[in-house]
Amino acid sequence: MKYLIMLYGSQQDYDAMAGRPGDRPPMSPEQLAAMHAHMETVHKELAESGELVDAQGLTAPVHARRVRLRGGAPVVTDGPYAETQEVLAGYTLVECASFDRATEIAARFVNPDAEGEYVDVRPVLDGVEELQG
Amino acid sequence: MADPAVEDLLRALAPQVLGALVRRYGHFDTAEDATQEALLAAATRWPDTGPPDDPKAWLITVASRRLTDLLRAEQARRRREDTVARQLPADRWLAPPADRPPVDADDSLILLFLCCHPSLPPAGQIGLTLRAVGGLSTAEVARAFLVPEATMTRRITRAKQRIRDSGLPFAVPAGEERAARLDTVLHVLYLIFNEGYASTAGEQLHRTDLRAEAIRLARLLHRRTDDPEATGLLALMLLTDARTPARTGPDGSLVPMAEQDRRRWRGEQIAEGIRLVGAALPRRAVGPYQLQAAIAALHDEAPSVEATDWPQIVALYEMLLALHDNPVVRLNHAVAVAMARGPRAGLALLDALGADRRVAEDPRRYAARAHLLELAGEADAARQAYLAAARRSMNVAQQRYLHSRAARLG
Repeated sequence: MKYLIMLYGSQQDYDAMAGRPGDRPPMSPEQLAAMHAHMETVHKELAESGELVDAQGLTAPVHARRVRLRGGAPVVTDGPYAETQEVLAGYTLVECASFDRATEIAARFVNPDAEGEYVDVRPVLDGVEELQG
Repeated sequence: MADPAVEDLLRALAPQVLGALVRRYGHFDTAEDATQEALLAAATRWPDTGPPDDPKAWLITVASRRLTDLLRAEQARRRREDTVARQLPADRWLAPPADRPPVDADDSLILLFLCCHPSLPPAGQIGLTLRAVGGLSTAEVARAFLVPEATMTRRITRAKQRIRDSGLPFAVPAGEERAARLDTVLHVLYLIFNEGYASTAGEQLHRTDLRAEAIRLARLLHRRTDDPEATGLLALMLLTDARTPARTGPDGSLVPMAEQDRRRWRGEQIAEGIRLVGAALPRRAVGPYQLQAAIAALHDEAPSVEATDWPQIVALYEMLLALHDNPVVRLNHAVAVAMARGPRAGLALLDALGADRRVAEDPRRYAARAHLLELAGEADAARQAYLAAARRSMNVAQQRYLHSRAARLG
């Protein structure tokens, strides 16, 4: 069974990572390096245990495009999110023995020093058949 | 594959084994699978037993048997199996005697041309080249390009099907066709190198392997074709790669060339690159790779930014633009002009580029503008331009660099 672990962040979080002074103090090079090292360790362990399927990080929300159709023609909005809105920042797709194991893995992606931070875990459908019952 | 000596040996032999198989039996796609399996068998066995006396013959034998098995397994292709069985006298399973000249010596080159066929999409060319000629596993290629293994498997499978369906002959093309195909091969190797050199998005990535692989393949091409542009490409890669040790700070941040500690550049690679480009240029078949290598050589030779031969670099960029008008080359040209004739001259060129849609909103144009404004003493405008560049960049390391420059200007 596959589980999608979703990590969130706002434009403000991305700005802190990019070293841009704003409402939140920018991350120091050491903090950034520590974060990268932690992510790398976790993913390396998941790759070694054979549970890692895929993991990707997304660029800052300002680079997002929202696409709608208006009168059948696509209309594009650049950077559609508010500064403080939490959006998907990255994901790790794992294939593991149980929901509990996926939860255990997910907990490693939550920064213990960041009050209130969370990630979501969602079981992945095996195929369309499951939806049809 | 824990043993680097075995790994190197296998990587070097992979295209030769595949080439030998395809030359003898055809069936590029199946032969490629068979070769991969033979390599895998060797990789698991040789570190313990040591390589056999003639590793290439061993691999060809194992791969030939595997190819026969694979073809046999295709029930619907029984007729093809008969052909292979007939084409497969037992004595051909062994290596030729040592005194026979190595007729298959150019197989790696033929494979390279085959994998870089213009009818394949670039992603297919790259994947197939790294697997068939580079001897990397699909998983390794997938990891290098940060895509799931299943995706890379599909890309490679599609590319192989296309080659099979097209019925391309197993030979290096001749005449004008050869020149056009060589361009594609050079471009594919250049893309592989760049993928390893600069990651366009995301956090710092270590893709040294891709760079080393691109250099290895460019070296092969240079040795086997004696083409000045192949030499130019190899020189360009060496001269660029030589700066790697000074390119990132201790915390993984990006260090621009102007601030790099030039003593940390790899002197041997620079010397080889300069020697290569020096030998290629006088042959009067100047192309874009030789020109870019010549520019890289001027940078690498200079003891500092100030002591760089900027007028010469400006002239080389202008030759490059005469061959092929490209907005990114125009950006670099503008910076070189600024260094040779002062920031104002460069800024005028950059502002003119604002009308070119391909590069108007490119973070590199804003970063170059910011840098030249800073040189011109316009601190406030420079700061704004650094921030504008950071906003447009998708690379966290680049963003951090640009923000730190902006912060320095208060």
